[in-house]
Amino acid sequence: MAEDKKLMLKIEDVTMRFRMEEDRAGSLKETVTKLLSRKLRFKEFEALKNVSFEVYKGDVLGIIGRNGAGKSTILKIISGILKPTKGHVERFGNIVPMLELGSGFDMDLTGRENIFLNGAILGYSKPFLTAKYEDILAFSELNEFINMPLRNYSSGMLMRLAFSIATVVEPEILIVDEILAVGDENFQRKSRNRMKELMSGGTTVLFVSHDMNQIRELCNRVVWLDGGTIRLQGTTEEVCDQYAL
Amino acid sequence: MTKINLKKVSKYVLLVYLAIVILFCAGTWDRLITKGPLGLLKLWWFLIFILVFTLWLLLYLRRMKKCQERGKKCAGLSFAETLFRYRFLIEQLVSRDFKIKYKRSVLGVFWSFLNPLLMMIVQYVVFSHLLGIRGNVEHYAIYLLCGIVMWNGFNDCSTQATRSITSNAPLITKVYVPKFIYPLTRVLSSFINVLLSMIPLLLVTMIYGLFATPHLYLTKTVLLLPFGLIFLLVFATGMGLLLSSLMVFFHDVEFLWSVISTIWMYATPIIYSLSMFEGKAPWLITVMQFNPLYHFIDFMRNIIIYGQAPAFKEFLICGAFAGGMLLIGYAVFHKLEDKFILYL
Repeated sequence: MAEDKKLMLKIEDVTMRFRMEEDRAGSLKETVTKLLSRKLRFKEFEALKNVSFEVYKGDVLGIIGRNGAGKSTILKIISGILKPTKGHVERFGNIVPMLELGSGFDMDLTGRENIFLNGAILGYSKPFLTAKYEDILAFSELNEFINMPLRNYSSGMLMRLAFSIATVVEPEILIVDEILAVGDENFQRKSRNRMKELMSGGTTVLFVSHDMNQIRELCNRVVWLDGGTIRLQGTTEEVCDQYAL
Repeated sequence: MTKINLKKVSKYVLLVYLAIVILFCAGTWDRLITKGPLGLLKLWWFLIFILVFTLWLLLYLRRMKKCQERGKKCAGLSFAETLFRYRFLIEQLVSRDFKIKYKRSVLGVFWSFLNPLLMMIVQYVVFSHLLGIRGNVEHYAIYLLCGIVMWNGFNDCSTQATRSITSNAPLITKVYVPKFIYPLTRVLSSFINVLLSMIPLLLVTMIYGLFATPHLYLTKTVLLLPFGLIFLLVFATGMGLLLSSLMVFFHDVEFLWSVISTIWMYATPIIYSLSMFEGKAPWLITVMQFNPLYHFIDFMRNIIIYGQAPAFKEFLICGAFAGGMLLIGYAVFHKLEDKFILYL
């Protein structure tokens, strides 16, 4: 099934090793004194060990696993934020991460200014944002509040704005780290529909969640990470049935 | 990867280059055209320098084009591509930082004008009338103002840049963006202030000049003003890169920098003049040659107060300091940037 599809992501033998200092030196003085007294010890910790998988166009890949299994680490490596210690990732399309609540927002700017700022951070172009501005505004249901500074927004309004900006584009690869349930019930339904729309529209999605119902509903393939290695990968049914056990 | 239109880029680069050469020639005309065999020699040197540099620029642009065609990498090309790709982000970040600065103040952007003026008045009163250390400096008010504007510009740019990585941590841990963009945009947004403060500097100079004895007029050397500003910008960018990358690992940098910059300020002839030390401490004048800010400020004063183009040597010294700082800053930043995320 996968052979006729275009390869979007190739994760090859990725290993990520962190050096954990036993207690991190927070200042120059501490580092110097520790270096002098040879107390700067490191504990090595492998967050990912030889992980390889491929993602094809149109795939909605769920990544599951317990806390600390390396799910977020692999997403960060894929989006280029972290450099793997070993192995490499090949990307064949532009990646848009769905930001966590407010992480690209500036509270002193208005909603409108934030749409442009956040859009720029996500890599959208100016003509694109200008063209889609009305869509974003309509989807977020913020109406006249769009010209107010963000510090006056409620958290639900912030979420709605963030979601609307992140999904207005049809990115080739979308990375979602558990932020599906935002806003009130009505908006949750709307956002879920938008996600489904995106996923059926040929966008490749990498999706991390603990909610097995969501995974079963949305994904067609699942990678199960356990302690930094791939425990199992395959179709949703196979993996989810195993995972439940 | 978006392909950039190299023809357009080359056009802009050449236009800017042409503007720089024209400004330079117009500003330094009196120095360029001096009589006697020595003057002719100088002119020849200058022409050769320009010719070599132009040739190099053209060849490099050609090389960039070839690299693009063959899909090879070259530093200039990838730099241009990065700037092109993230130009909208740079624009947005600069405008954000600039807007935020005066967002909740009544006078807003007028503070960019007011701040150096008020500082000058306070320092003028304190140092000239109360302490009486104006020495034999002519046009002391303008002398002070030049120093204050340049120093504040540098200090503001570098201080703002120091926190650029740490305060953008939520973004850096979520989205991939070339990290040098954060300190760069901070420096640029502060630099807008420096540009704005040129307006009161020039205005005050003109008004003051009419009433001062002897009169002080701006001459066509003002055309060289952009050079001084570019040197300052490049130097501050290098410092910003250095400080912001060290800041990630040691938060002490912020506090350390505020102390160092105060020391540096007093070590720079802003309120005093080097001529006060002639005879008393000649070594100080030698040591001062190693202070980049001294050269930048002196460059500015030459243009504005003395109405004469700085010596060619000064251009080279300022350029070397600015370029060297940028190289150091970028080298350190580049070496450390992959580790940022582990420490944020």
